[in-house]
Amino acid sequence: MLQLIVAGLTVGSGYALVALGLHIILRATRIINFAQGEFLIVGGLFALTFVEVLHVNVWIALLGSTACGFILGLVFERLILRPASRCSEIALTIVTIGALYILLYGHALVPLWGSSPHPLPAFSGEGADSFAFGGASIPYQSLWVFLLLALALAVMYAFFERTYFGKAIRAAANNPIGARLTGIDVTQTRAISVAISIALCAFGGTIIGPITLVGGAGGTAIAIKGFVGAIVGGFESPVGCVVGGLLVGIVEKLLEGKFEYGLADPLVYSLLLVTLLVRPQGLFASRVGVRD
Amino acid sequence: MLLDVRDLRAGYGQLDVLHGVSVYVDLGELVAVLGPNGAGKSTLLRAVSQLGPAVRGGSIVFDGHDLLRTSTEQGVRYGCLHVAEGRQLFSELTVDDNLRLGAYATDHKTIERDLSSVYERFPEIARRRSAVAFSLSGGEQQMLAIGRALMAKPKLLMLDEPSTGLAPQVVAKIFSIIGDLCRAGTAVLLVEQNAYLALQHADRAYVLENGATALSGCAAELSADERIKAIYLGGATGE
Amino acid sequence: MIARLHADARAIPILLALVGVCGIVASSNATFVQAATYAGIYAIAAIGLSLLLGSVNQISLGQAAFFGIGAYAVAYLTTSANWSYWPALVVGVVLAAFFGVVIGFIALRFHGHYLAMATLAFNLICVGIFHQWKLIGGAVGINNIPFAQLGPIRIAGTPAFWFAWIAAAIVALLSLRLLRGRMGYAFEAIRNDELAAEVTGVPTRRCKIVAFTYAGALAGLSGAMYVAVIGLMAPDIPGVGLTVDLLLMVVLGGMGSVSGAIIGACFIGFLSITGHSFDNWREVAYGVVVIAVVVAAPGGLFGLIRGRARTRATDGAPAPRIESAMAPLVLHSNELPLVVSGVTKRFGGLIAVDAVSFALEYGTLTSLIGPNGAGKTTLFNAMSGIGRVNTGTIRIAGTPVTGWAPHRIARLGVGRTFQNARLFDEMTVLENVVASVLALTRVNERAANDRARETLARLGLEHLSTTYAMHLPFGERRRVELARAIAADPWLLLVDEPAAGLNARERTTLQQDLLAIRGRGVTILLIEHDMKLVMSISDRVMVLQFGKMIADGTAGVIRNDPLVAAAYLGIAS
Repeated sequence: MLQLIVAGLTVGSGYALVALGLHIILRATRIINFAQGEFLIVGGLFALTFVEVLHVNVWIALLGSTACGFILGLVFERLILRPASRCSEIALTIVTIGALYILLYGHALVPLWGSSPHPLPAFSGEGADSFAFGGASIPYQSLWVFLLLALALAVMYAFFERTYFGKAIRAAANNPIGARLTGIDVTQTRAISVAISIALCAFGGTIIGPITLVGGAGGTAIAIKGFVGAIVGGFESPVGCVVGGLLVGIVEKLLEGKFEYGLADPLVYSLLLVTLLVRPQGLFASRVGVRD
Repeated sequence: MLLDVRDLRAGYGQLDVLHGVSVYVDLGELVAVLGPNGAGKSTLLRAVSQLGPAVRGGSIVFDGHDLLRTSTEQGVRYGCLHVAEGRQLFSELTVDDNLRLGAYATDHKTIERDLSSVYERFPEIARRRSAVAFSLSGGEQQMLAIGRALMAKPKLLMLDEPSTGLAPQVVAKIFSIIGDLCRAGTAVLLVEQNAYLALQHADRAYVLENGATALSGCAAELSADERIKAIYLGGATGE
Repeated sequence: MIARLHADARAIPILLALVGVCGIVASSNATFVQAATYAGIYAIAAIGLSLLLGSVNQISLGQAAFFGIGAYAVAYLTTSANWSYWPALVVGVVLAAFFGVVIGFIALRFHGHYLAMATLAFNLICVGIFHQWKLIGGAVGINNIPFAQLGPIRIAGTPAFWFAWIAAAIVALLSLRLLRGRMGYAFEAIRNDELAAEVTGVPTRRCKIVAFTYAGALAGLSGAMYVAVIGLMAPDIPGVGLTVDLLLMVVLGGMGSVSGAIIGACFIGFLSITGHSFDNWREVAYGVVVIAVVVAAPGGLFGLIRGRARTRATDGAPAPRIESAMAPLVLHSNELPLVVSGVTKRFGGLIAVDAVSFALEYGTLTSLIGPNGAGKTTLFNAMSGIGRVNTGTIRIAGTPVTGWAPHRIARLGVGRTFQNARLFDEMTVLENVVASVLALTRVNERAANDRARETLARLGLEHLSTTYAMHLPFGERRRVELARAIAADPWLLLVDEPAAGLNARERTTLQQDLLAIRGRGVTILLIEHDMKLVMSISDRVMVLQFGKMIADGTAGVIRNDPLVAAAYLGIAS
């Protein structure tokens, strides 16, 4: 049982970062990014490239992949989100699905990456190294995941709650007109918000990479589980998104342990429908919906 | 002249709201823009701060800068501050954060000093400095909005109907502060529906009707002018 | 028929003929025939999705689920239960339609992104169920599905091609038929402006459910045909990939058009048989193209081909000029047209309307005035069913309308215009008015057209009949909205700031229009800021300030009321 929970929290950390990223993009641009999961995959692949082509250790790869994610986010915002921002809601949804397609199939075309998953070296010791605790065998990598997740969340918190520019970004998301009247460049803050969100995904993809492998077509499933997490926890609340993501990871692993293969996923998706019908604002948020 | 608006024609989509309006404000003056609903008062301010309406003709010059070629954010840097309809506060941030962000466009050298002086001027919001802006009362929100604009050290402060929805005592307080600001050297362009109150405090005033200037002149003279009443209420004496 | 659909209607026979010719010419090329068959099958589902997306502006990322339901129904019934194909087909379609209704109801609760996610979840859940359900084969699916037989003909190869395309043709023409009549006008109105559609009498909820059901049924039909041709069914087939493919077809072809869906299906269908080695590049290209199309050419390929069709006038003979015999309305009711009692409306801590009560008399023109934020529009909204009141009742001709949807109130005989003239921009002036008549009365399209023309003629707007609403100058927009509001002969008319933005000449015309409407016996309630206008045409004036009624009387009395002066001008010093 503990084993499953740990596994759930590990993969849930990835979902949590995806969900948090979704929240940030939503706040900044009012767009729901269906391609979010792909960025997690691509982030892992960036790290792989750093390790195998540039021959650096996995920690530097982590930094590198996060930085590349940030840049990719800027490109994504400039080339895809910004031109589409004047379109209708339906059009925006379709555009992010288009982006999903590009990333999902595109990443397999990069020579090193290909379409099947690769292993990423563990952050310490060997990938399967684990220690015994409470009757479970806990991989060291899981500990790293938790630690690094906490680090990422701390950095996000510090940035958005304690720094001047972070507050300016929140202000611009809260009231773009008020921001312009105060001299804040809203276009710039949007772009940076998207970049941060994608960087979070890349970070997440790298830290869970050693356990879940990088690459492959799992991006869509991850994105959807990230959504489910965000919805269950509350899209409008950053804490909710993180908790929701972790929760979804735990539920998924517990279900996988109890039921036969293939049933866990639909049950997780049912969580989404149930939440939308019963408490659409999620567990932590008080306002309903994304409608302005 | 600090602000010189000439022959401004502006509107939204197919609709023309302003049909050639000219208004000017000198340093340290309090100028009121009055008129019934739909006359174009808010549109005038929004055109100056480049917030919305499409400008189809005329010119707007502020402190030597052509505002028609300037973004809203850049206008803030030049010292033209607009406290817009609805106040446009950052509802989820605290009073303190709202004020500090007001200085975004400046070089931040005097930010602490400016913050203290805003709190001195508005003790009501000093008491609530860690409260979320959303939870403030109407009057407090208006004071916060003005305070935030002051953090940018404006040369011209444009206020859009500051008295809306506020109780008379609060309105009186706000207007007396506006008067103080003027005497201290900040020019103010005030849009108000409450004509007589505005005329009590203003140096000069314009009265707009249907997108054009119907009356203008010294505030004292205008407040005695019967034609204002006719413009607002319709009727035989107006034309 | 709506002008926008003319091009569609013309294109469909051409497209179908083209496909037919290709089918005959290339019948020996097995690859072509197979690809074309699938294209035809997918086209059916694409048409349904196109209608949903383009007509009612609802997104569904779950179309593949309905496809799967129809497919599995047929697969199961024809194998395990040994049914003949055709009854199984019917069951498949009905089942899919049923789920379409369910999703339609769910869809009413969500908008935009949330709807997308909910339907996506539905798709994934269905796939999960298909994977697990042993009855229908679980992960392996169902094999050896027998070919369908139509008498002596086995539906495979070339006969399958004709099977697919004849069905597609029927569906296309049926869909066009649907879009032509009353429903079509309703859909188009909803797509343009849902709120205005409601107020004009269109039952938006019902229409959306119909759209979802139709789209679901078509996807189910598509699935049911698919299994007959391919002979097997697996749980991965109706997955998100198929949903996205369908979406691609629709976006590429052009949302909302039937021909667009056919074009899109053919395009994608043929691309799928070419360049197998380009697999991933092709999908990447799809993604890029979708983004480009959505951003730069929202009308898709069909829109590009159609080009300037938008600004061309409709065809059809000009209707004879009907000189209106303005028969006054006769109302058989002892009740007052409008009675508002103790209505209060709060928004959180703010009280917008504070215990307002009044009653209108028949055939009078009453103006509601007051400074900004006084609560006038909130009151209007409450009277037309937009938003609920916290306390109090509103009775229209004796009927309490609290909690009624706007279209129900409209059907009682209430017309309403908005502050910002909400017209259906992508419909012509005539269509705007016809939409209202069709929604509020039982007359057929021809009679509705006549009635619309008559109304426009009465307001002197007939020369604008074929102009698209988006091209109208501002003053005319207001008058067209007025025409739309009175076309179905309401006996109560709520007009919100009609004079805003009008010049002097236009205000005079407005004055005449309103007086003429009153002359027919219509009771009018007007929100207005133009005091001259108000004072000159009102029988009665009510003044609202801070949500409370502070004065109520004739124009002369109100003008001289010091309270009113204070409300507007402030206290004179």
